[in-house]
Amino acid sequence: MMTGAGIICSLGSHVPEVWDALISGRTGIGPIDGFDPNGFSCLLAAQVRPLDISDLKIHPRDARIMDTPSYLLLKAARDAFRGARLEGTQIPREEIGFFAGMGMMDYDIEDLLPAVLKSLDATGGLNYSAFYSRGYTEVHPLWPLSMLNNIGFCQVGTSLDLQGENSVFSPHADSGMMAIAEGAKSVLDGRAQVVLCGGVSEKVSPFSLARARLCGVLNTTGAKDGPSCKPFDAERRGTVLGEGAGVIALERESSARRRGVEPLAAVTGHGCSCECQGGCAGPTAKAMTLAMKSALDRSGLNPSEIDLVMAHGDGTLAGDRSEIEAIQHVFSDGIENLHVSSSKGALGHLLAGAPLADAILTISMMNHGLIPATLHTSAPDPSIRFHLVHGKPVKKDLKRVLINCQSCEGQAASIVVEAAGG
Amino acid sequence: MVNRDVPRRRVVITGYGMITSLGKDAEETFENASQGKSGIDYLTAFDTTHLPCRIGGQVKEEWLEKSDPEADRFYKFSSRGLKLMRRATLEAAGQARLHELTNRERIGISFGFHGDSPEVDDLMFLHRFYDGKGTWDMKGLMRSGGYSFLNFLRRKPDVATTILPKMFDCKGPNLTVASACAAGSQAIGEAYRLIQEGKADVMIAGGSEAALNFMGFIGFVLIKALAERYSVPQKASRPFDRKRNGFVMSEAAGAVILEEREHARSRKIPILGELLGYGASADAYRITDTHPTGLGAVLAMKGALEEASVRPEKIDYINAHGTSTAMNDVTETKAIKEVFGARAKEIPVSSNKSMLGHSIAGAGALEMILTLMGMNRSIILPTINQEFPDPKCDLDYVPNEARRREHQVALSNSFGFGGQNACLCIGRYVE
Repeated sequence: MMTGAGIICSLGSHVPEVWDALISGRTGIGPIDGFDPNGFSCLLAAQVRPLDISDLKIHPRDARIMDTPSYLLLKAARDAFRGARLEGTQIPREEIGFFAGMGMMDYDIEDLLPAVLKSLDATGGLNYSAFYSRGYTEVHPLWPLSMLNNIGFCQVGTSLDLQGENSVFSPHADSGMMAIAEGAKSVLDGRAQVVLCGGVSEKVSPFSLARARLCGVLNTTGAKDGPSCKPFDAERRGTVLGEGAGVIALERESSARRRGVEPLAAVTGHGCSCECQGGCAGPTAKAMTLAMKSALDRSGLNPSEIDLVMAHGDGTLAGDRSEIEAIQHVFSDGIENLHVSSSKGALGHLLAGAPLADAILTISMMNHGLIPATLHTSAPDPSIRFHLVHGKPVKKDLKRVLINCQSCEGQAASIVVEAAGG
Repeated sequence: MVNRDVPRRRVVITGYGMITSLGKDAEETFENASQGKSGIDYLTAFDTTHLPCRIGGQVKEEWLEKSDPEADRFYKFSSRGLKLMRRATLEAAGQARLHELTNRERIGISFGFHGDSPEVDDLMFLHRFYDGKGTWDMKGLMRSGGYSFLNFLRRKPDVATTILPKMFDCKGPNLTVASACAAGSQAIGEAYRLIQEGKADVMIAGGSEAALNFMGFIGFVLIKALAERYSVPQKASRPFDRKRNGFVMSEAAGAVILEEREHARSRKIPILGELLGYGASADAYRITDTHPTGLGAVLAMKGALEEASVRPEKIDYINAHGTSTAMNDVTETKAIKEVFGARAKEIPVSSNKSMLGHSIAGAGALEMILTLMGMNRSIILPTINQEFPDPKCDLDYVPNEARRREHQVALSNSFGFGGQNACLCIGRYVE
């Protein structure tokens, strides 16, 4: 059972704010701020607003080695923790676990540059002996900490005093899903009473942009003003990076009841499979099919019992194509009545944060009986036979939602979220 | 506390492989370790002249080259960490005869890896295209051709789990664990869980690390974690000894093949041991220091014992994290006493890092395999460089010489930088 949720992304910094923006069709995608993106062929991203970190209670000593992803994860984790009424809880700390998927932690070139500058010879080349003997001491002593993928994770765990079972996965969307699956298993096996499961995107930086571009997933049409991430659109041209994090608290129904905490929804099944289309084109339709089927099997559900598929739908040519094929294969009967939506048109691609954001938004969708439109999509791909929610939200009573995600490197993963008490 | 309603699928080990500073494979590493040899020496991979620590555990180049003639193409494009990973996984997969399996969707991957550190040349190169104020000359960078795909792949932790499925044609669950020094053990632990819950029948699990280049190395120099006072390199890593003063960094990779027991039995593959339990915890104390009373370590060990349904008095041996830092070795000793009480002093505890150094994400995998090999051969590997007893470290660390003794059940500890802890409970296989 999910009993707490925290989200932060380009659309806002708590659940109601993000939901209001999403359902009213606002986009979080805009011109890149913070560095000059000219030359990267993509000028757009869904960045978070500058954070006020004063209310996160971070020790200045720790702030030095924290970057945007760590702040985002901490903010979302705090909200989920509070939402699940875990502040001041009697639950022993070693019974509270923590699992998260994290994107790449990029080194900040500013941390390393002084060492290079101090070691240049007269011609502007690097004097290696100067670098090796003195230059390197210019590197900030805590720089290595800011590079380690698990440090942000441990800072959040330390800040909330979470001593139970834990692991950190990296770096794609599937790692966020894996965090949910492993967290759920830890709770079901009784190794933890409550777990926080989280996922956080990378920071939008020259490095993350370059990486996405080199993987070939980025929209590089260079449009500055138009919307650029169009999931499942016939005219889709690639994805747009987003920043954000989502964290949920999971516990058994009996634990929630004992603590008097209202369950928000239940995670009932997970499946994954890995087979790459080649290059960085994401998993094959077969891998996605297997992931969806195994998540459904584990929930004990037939495809016809699913009310909505929150698709990975990142707006890439190959990724969306195989996802359409896979969804239509799994839901072959009654495909015309199946609703499908993607949040990436509004939020951008949050990588490891994406499945968490989708899981949290699913709770809001269930509460309101509304499916938000897939933003920026106007002419769905002609091969689509399901009901792609676009243009405007659709009213529907939602009990069971299948959420998909994939890594560009071939892993597909799915979970089923069911309404609490449903 | 732990839910026992559902019968668990048992998880056995059917293959292992490694490449370390002590040997090109598991057999050679174990043989050298059982003679108490050290794999630590002066570093030759880069210029260490002005650094306060100049030693490490390097893998010999010829082990990589000669033994893998068909990998030219792979080698051309991959970093050192991946080359090591390839060696270790090939050895493990060969032993487990992975190629014979037909249902590839039931084989998964779980690997501890952090990607590679930037090279000094990379920094220099990038610097030419950056004005220092936030603007990149992307056109120039692209034109130079150096801004290549592979340059970025090298720094990604998931390359391991991207390459391995292709190498071994596996289509099951696939994950990268990036929890620093605990990554190898946590990757094995997560693989164990995936088999237990039926998401896979076979998992390739382990860890690889090759941070012995200048930038990777100075990272640890800067945080002052490395041993800086030593008479000869071979004596620098001295876990639990009073004169210990930091860890020695090594490169290595280790891989195991975990398999559901019935699956292994039905194909009549020799079973090499059983993974009985896995415990994970967090110190939630400080990023750079371990918890003073070893709280997280205690929780991890207790978790592994509980899952294995093994009482503390049944543990015959503990393969310690034992890094040779002042702090770890004291807190680990305290934690062992906390878990095992009066019996702690009767249990042999040894640290492979005294001979192999610390290979970060690789360490947990190596140590689990060496524990298993020792069990099957009735040999307990020693902690070398035990010369000056530390009154705060007063357990039986199997000083300096391997010991011949039958043992059935052991723990292997890994405690990560940042406060993540893992413990694996391993048993000699019995039907």
